[in-house]
Amino acid sequence: MAEVKRQLAMVLDLNKCIGCQTCTIACKRLWTRDEGMDYMWWNSVNTKPGRGTPRDYEKMGGGFRGGVAVPGKLPTRRDLGDAWKFNHEEVFYGGKADRVHLKIVGEEPDWGPNWDEDQGAGEYPNAYYFYLPRICNHCTNPACVESCPRKAIVKREEDGIVLIDEDRCRGYRFCMEACPYKKIYFNHARKVAQKCIFCFPRIEQGVSPACARMCPGRLRFVGYRDDPEGPIAKLVDKWKVGLPLHPDFGTEPNVFYVPPLAPPRFDENGDIDESKPRIPNEYLVSLFGPRVIEVLEILKTEMAKARAGQKSELMDLLIVYRWKEMFGGFDRDPATIEWTTA
Amino acid sequence: MRARYVAGLDLDTLLDPDGGHWSKARSERLSLVGTPIDLQPTASVRVAWLGKKFGAIDRVSVAAVHNGSALAFRLEWKDASENRTLDDITAFQDAAAVLLPSVPGAPVITMGMPGMEVNAWYWSADEDDAGRHVVAEGLGSTRPVGERLVRGRGLWKGGHWRVVISRALQVQTSEPVAQLKPGDTTQFAVAVWEGGHGERAGIKAYSAEWRELQLEAA
Repeated sequence: MAEVKRQLAMVLDLNKCIGCQTCTIACKRLWTRDEGMDYMWWNSVNTKPGRGTPRDYEKMGGGFRGGVAVPGKLPTRRDLGDAWKFNHEEVFYGGKADRVHLKIVGEEPDWGPNWDEDQGAGEYPNAYYFYLPRICNHCTNPACVESCPRKAIVKREEDGIVLIDEDRCRGYRFCMEACPYKKIYFNHARKVAQKCIFCFPRIEQGVSPACARMCPGRLRFVGYRDDPEGPIAKLVDKWKVGLPLHPDFGTEPNVFYVPPLAPPRFDENGDIDESKPRIPNEYLVSLFGPRVIEVLEILKTEMAKARAGQKSELMDLLIVYRWKEMFGGFDRDPATIEWTTA
Repeated sequence: MRARYVAGLDLDTLLDPDGGHWSKARSERLSLVGTPIDLQPTASVRVAWLGKKFGAIDRVSVAAVHNGSALAFRLEWKDASENRTLDDITAFQDAAAVLLPSVPGAPVITMGMPGMEVNAWYWSADEDDAGRHVVAEGLGSTRPVGERLVRGRGLWKGGHWRVVISRALQVQTSEPVAQLKPGDTTQFAVAVWEGGHGERAGIKAYSAEWRELQLEAA
């Protein structure tokens, strides 16, 4: 695997995600509007517990176990939610706006990219869920790069962004089998694989990825892994509160999550029950690995400090008083750049 | 095998899998085998196909005709499913290719090697007429040469594919490709991908050895 000089990374604080999908739409409008990309969501946000996108992707294999490649399955378009067709023509241009309403044309879908939103798990009054935004993890040990017989996927030496060379790609889709996060899509019009590019044209101009910059919740931190002044090193290495999703997949993601805390449980009398957490520990461990328990303790300790009026660098970081400080120097306003479309 | 010379055939006729000129060419039956699993270039392809049979098409009939300026191969094989469209992520197309050495002695099994290139003329059911013309010097190394140099035409009927793959005998390029003329003797090998079985890239059936091909004098 190619050694990279530096690695760009993202940390997402799941305690701040409100599931608004602004990131999803920011990405969609910027990158996946061309023919063949209609069903692609390089950024997706799903409710957890939930089946995710594509449906049940965590059971589709791929990645590595003990350093050995694990066979993976290809998702179907339907697993990914497909792109529903609507009667836009009829409603907007058919002259029948007083009689027809917007509806899906063709087969009634049984799945969508955010189908099980807010369902979660648990029983009232102890139901629980949280939102999990996902992009390509730009892994340190990318299964997609390993899988491609044409070496069409590269991990950039200068920043570790993983990119598909569409001129070399022949649409074999081995990468889609190999990616355990199922974050690669097949463009049926161009017959190539496509995925999140960490907004590299923006990065190259000092602008953070659109999903991060557009996030109203200020939950996506961006920067180099090795920048001690940047937010990534502080959250992941200094405070150790950033965890990869599914470390068990063996690809070493460079997208990290601050795991979700939840309100306390109620017992049968309606009193607060602190004896066990609302979100079962074993569930969080299954997503973020065993360190998640320790991370939740760090968060609780620092929250308590802040509540008691003491200084907490971690809480200050996570609150994000100064928006631009989230972006590790990639804070240039894209409106100040003259973009070309050539 | 002989590539029969048929004078005065235009390219469109030459490409017709049902054209009368094929009755004049003697076809040969080739046995195909799945490519060796150990030679698949990546671990993830190897684990995905380990213990699974691939190279689903184990027999193909091949005939060849040239008209003095273009050479065409007709490949016929049994295939219960016609896989032309990539209508889902899990769908793969049927495809076939003829391989010729660019350099004498280039190996078939690894699709050439550095400095000993091979030249593939590739047809796929989803792109039909627009074939691909590629040079390779080892597995996974194919690169396209020229635009629309290879033409193909496939007909699927009653559980059989009949596919014609053709290219001009001579092409203008500095790339190492097969340059042919009437009266030449060269070699060829073939590969067939059964799309319905998920075959693509190195996961295919191929004739593991070169066969001799004599182009009749014009």
